[in-house]
Amino acid sequence: MDSMANQKTVLAVTDDVVLPVSSVLTIMAQLGNERFDPLIVTQASTINQFPLDSSSVDAVLAISKTSDFPSDKICGEFSRILKPGGTVFVCKNLEGQVEDMQQTIQRRVTLAGFLEPQCLDLKSIKLSTFSLSFGIKAKKPSWKIGSSFALKKPAKVLLKVNLDDDLDLIDEDSLLTEEDLKKPQLPVASGCATTKKACKNCVCGRAEIEEKAVKLGLTEDQIENPQSSCGSCGLGDAFRCGTCPYKGLPAFKLGEKVTLSRNFLEADI
Amino acid sequence: MTMGEKPKKKLLVLYASQTGNALDAAERIGREAERRGCPASIVSTDEFDASYLPHEEAVVFVVSTTGQGDSPDSFKAFWKFLLQKKLEKDWLQGVRFAVFGLGDSGYQKYNFVAKKLDKRLSGLGATTIIEKGLGDDQHPSGYEGTLDPWMLSLWSTLYQINPKYFPKGPDVKISQDDLIDQPKYRILYHKQDKLESTLLTDSDIIQRARGMSPGKLYKDKSKPDCFLKMTRNEVLTKAGSTKDVRHFEFQSVSSTIEYEVGDVVELLPSQNPSAIDAFIERCDLDPESFIIVGPRETENSGVNEEMVTQLPIKLKTFVELTMDVTSASPRRYFFEVMSFYATAEHEKERLQYFASTEGREDLYNYNQKESRSILEVLEDFPSVQIPFEWLVQLVPPLKPRAFSISSSPLAHPDQVHLTVSIVSWITPYKRTRKGLCSSWLASLTPEEEVHIPVWFHKGSLPAPSQSLPLILVGPGTGCAPFRGFIAERSVQAQSSPVAPVMFFFGCRNKDTDFLYRDFWESHTREGGMLSEEMGGGFYTAFSRDQPKKVYVQHKIREMSKKVWDLLCGGAAVYVAGSSTKMPSDIMSALEEIVSEETGRSKEDASQCLKGLEKKGRYNVEAWS
Repeated sequence: MDSMANQKTVLAVTDDVVLPVSSVLTIMAQLGNERFDPLIVTQASTINQFPLDSSSVDAVLAISKTSDFPSDKICGEFSRILKPGGTVFVCKNLEGQVEDMQQTIQRRVTLAGFLEPQCLDLKSIKLSTFSLSFGIKAKKPSWKIGSSFALKKPAKVLLKVNLDDDLDLIDEDSLLTEEDLKKPQLPVASGCATTKKACKNCVCGRAEIEEKAVKLGLTEDQIENPQSSCGSCGLGDAFRCGTCPYKGLPAFKLGEKVTLSRNFLEADI
Repeated sequence: MTMGEKPKKKLLVLYASQTGNALDAAERIGREAERRGCPASIVSTDEFDASYLPHEEAVVFVVSTTGQGDSPDSFKAFWKFLLQKKLEKDWLQGVRFAVFGLGDSGYQKYNFVAKKLDKRLSGLGATTIIEKGLGDDQHPSGYEGTLDPWMLSLWSTLYQINPKYFPKGPDVKISQDDLIDQPKYRILYHKQDKLESTLLTDSDIIQRARGMSPGKLYKDKSKPDCFLKMTRNEVLTKAGSTKDVRHFEFQSVSSTIEYEVGDVVELLPSQNPSAIDAFIERCDLDPESFIIVGPRETENSGVNEEMVTQLPIKLKTFVELTMDVTSASPRRYFFEVMSFYATAEHEKERLQYFASTEGREDLYNYNQKESRSILEVLEDFPSVQIPFEWLVQLVPPLKPRAFSISSSPLAHPDQVHLTVSIVSWITPYKRTRKGLCSSWLASLTPEEEVHIPVWFHKGSLPAPSQSLPLILVGPGTGCAPFRGFIAERSVQAQSSPVAPVMFFFGCRNKDTDFLYRDFWESHTREGGMLSEEMGGGFYTAFSRDQPKKVYVQHKIREMSKKVWDLLCGGAAVYVAGSSTKMPSDIMSALEEIVSEETGRSKEDASQCLKGLEKKGRYNVEAWS
């Protein structure tokens, strides 16, 4: 082991033009991290890859005044260069609505693979050239590729439902009554006239009528020489009644052969 | 408004619509209000600033709930505003409201959006006009079965509160022979010689046509993101399968393709040219005329100056690109307007019947259940001649169809791949119908070099970073986005470590519809993204290969230890597919696993998973 064994490495990165070392030291001390070796990268918004090996730094400190930094891609890079178990701090200096930004950043680091995002209030940190409003702290998982997953985190961790995200909104589920939460009743048909077909244990005779209609395939004669006692069959589906044998076929003239329809969206038979 | 003049009573109808049903209902409510002499404005909740609510006197909310209990996208920001703790209990004092919800009682979370909204509005001090109405898809006549009586109650109660709302009284007897409504659009015809001499690009034409169309939703882009041409059309399902699923590959012919894995692409389908010609002839229109479509002036809107400066488009092109004549079915109001323009007595009677309350069920059987197209309906009622203004308003807009992208920009640069099931079904009258977009895509060949206008946008599946462990569930065509995920991770693995992936796939038969079998299996071998040594796995459920049905949720339960380990390690769950029940079956299976592994109750496990959802670690893309 080399003499830097006790020194932890931190990468401090910003999309701004400058970032004084003293500020980095102050922030890290406030966040509970002493004795480390800082590396500073500025104007980092367009960086594709950091010039660092994978799993090489203990912590990453990202500072920004803008909402876009760090982007999804850069968060991914943080994940790459951090040692397993390492910590990322995303610190923001923003006016006005911070809740949305907090949620957005939490989501971004989560999707980059970080665990246990926490929100920190950083307004009290005294810095010379700028100030901070809040920060998000998250951890890189400590498993390594290739090792087996004996890791069983205590159940508490997974079950912690983080309601901190929506501190300022009421819980919408509280608006529902017990009645609302019960499985809904399907509408009871009032009489079978309103149902789409006869009931399973039909007693009124409707089932028989429907069965007859289904079985009534058209005879050759009915196709060659169509007749209609009601007079409506030839007018097309819009005028036919429920039991009409010509249902589904195009309009026709009485006595003239029924042709196939010219439906543009019919499958080629 | 001069001094001493009280402002006329008016009604605000705020709607939150996902697929257009709530919009239809809202328009109907607005129309009925106007027929009674009360002006109404119909506004989407994503176009209305919620902070102005206290200034309104009377508001009707029309809100849909999706199957999973979610609110429409257009409602989310508005709802978040209303949920703020800082709003006082009397913030909406003096505001009268009524809520009508559209939902489906076949789902657990039946009309949750409407129920919560109704409660919250009361909680903020607003007064109900009448009790909330809950439209139900399970009802024989759909939501209209509830809407009709609910509206009558609304009008009579509002009239009792203040007769000034309806100067013509709350009951309107509409003579069946009068059409008192006016079309909302007007058409300007241009003479040939006034045209610009420059040739328009396809992109310009599409932008111009779709920009004018009533079907244009507020946030849509009229100009396509780019044009694609098909480079491959391959059948994935084997002989013996009842389905026809295709693998399509596309390349851009315009700008560079930009998307992330998990994104969605929308395609504008082409309509059958003979059908377009038949429609134009049937409606007695001149296909070569040049037109501009714009809103009609009303007392509220005044002269529309925009229309004067808009550029014209050929009528035939406008029909082709914006009016769906062979696929979508018309709504009830179309039949009502048709009845006015029918000259044959028996047709007029039949149309009036279809538009009435008594005829609603027969209309449903003839129209919606048979998936009648506009063209078919017009051909069934040959005496009807509708003016073009009405057609523009009432013919359903041609909608782009969305598909989950199944390629990866890293693994398949400059390409877009899709996995599409060709839709086809048999109606109750035994007519065979096909899906417009899927059938059209299936019929295309790379040689034809057809240019397809497309739009890219984010779906519900955010692209995961390579260090995020994944639990993927994608039965059937749900596997499409995950093909992209795995192909992408495979490329990323070449330069840096990647996290494990467990993928659960399901289909009916191993031999006939095992989509992308070779691809998944190649990744289970050494070094593959789904291999055991990489910490992941590939699990299959073939539902019909044995007497007992085996589905993906059963396989998930089988692997509960490994699933739990991965969740503890920070994994995110992604679920995609075409079933309405599948996502909740998966959720149940995971709840059982969490409950078992932690020893806690099912309720606690459910809360835990809800927490994962809030953090973006549980994502579902479900399509119908």
